Amino acid sequence: MSDSILTDDIRALVGFAGERIEVTFPWGIEREGLRTFTQAIMDRDARYWDEDFAKSTRFGGLVTPPIYVAYLGRRSPPGSEDTITAAYAANPNSDGIGGVARAESKGGLPPIRTTLKRVLNAGNEIEVRSYPKIGDRIFSQGRYASIRERVTDDGAPMIIITTETTYTDQDGAVLCILRASQIRR
Amino acid sequence: MTSDSELRDKPQLYFDDLAVGDDLPALVIGPLTPSHLFRWSAAIENWHRIHYDQSFAIYHEGLPNILAQGSWKQSILPRYLKDLCLPDGWAWKVGFQHRAMIVPGDTVTVWARVTGKREVDGLGLVSLDVGMRLHYGPESCPGTATIVLPIRGGRSVPYPFEPTADMQVEETD
Repeated sequence: MSDSILTDDIRALVGFAGERIEVTFPWGIEREGLRTFTQAIMDRDARYWDEDFAKSTRFGGLVTPPIYVAYLGRRSPPGSEDTITAAYAANPNSDGIGGVARAESKGGLPPIRTTLKRVLNAGNEIEVRSYPKIGDRIFSQGRYASIRERVTDDGAPMIIITTETTYTDQDGAVLCILRASQIRR
Repeated sequence: MTSDSELRDKPQLYFDDLAVGDDLPALVIGPLTPSHLFRWSAAIENWHRIHYDQSFAIYHEGLPNILAQGSWKQSILPRYLKDLCLPDGWAWKVGFQHRAMIVPGDTVTVWARVTGKREVDGLGLVSLDVGMRLHYGPESCPGTATIVLPIRGGRSVPYPFEPTADMQVEETD
């Protein structure tokens, strides 16, 4: 299709996978981080904090919410540059995060180079296979699952980009898969 | 809000207990406050000011108020489905879109309605419409989900949960 907005370079990215990277710190998942996370989602489930009870469940011990893994990679490692100070040093009117590379940018996917500048979130999907355990080391790997071309109701071109991030533990077992779709138009 | 003891002692929901059209028990959260939003930002180290700096959100970004994080919504829906499936069912999949903004003062009702049922490999797969409805009506997070429940007298839902090919095929039909 000669007038396609999908260039050969873009099509070539479908299926491209980034590097598998560790998103936990060397000590793995720990209880204090889990406590603050579960309290922030107002989940009082004893499977996350009562070891004796957790041992009596099908999980055999303390576990974390499945989505917890998605936020591990954005935390600043100890000893690293103070990202907040850096953001404001670069721009006194910073939005608090702008321009500061995050740990999760490691293993990132190459950008989709298109003339379509407007970016919209088209939805998320979470598929859960297993819950992480205390002490687990967690790894993530992203890939472009699909890049599709569509036409809006008013005839304008747009593309829908779906990225898939798979989270695994230190043994390679799949914990959960996150799919995020983004519209460019 | 679901209590500790309710989660510890929750009776199992079975596939047989549900019919298409059934509404599942809702989870009501709120009214949300700036403190709730800030707690989430701190927990995941998201320092974007639109989530805790009201002046920045309104006067710099043109927003009506500070906003609840999309990542918070993304975490609440799996938590709700997990609670529904406890102790031995499995909240397998949930997909959703981000629609109406959630701001301080809003109360959110997390809900699910049965839209389909099928038995696959001796397990009960239940399709749901799900969402997070704001107290004044708009839907903030419309989506769909699939949970896996035991069938009375049937086998246990395996853990870890590995979907079979038949489950995946049915899911895409």
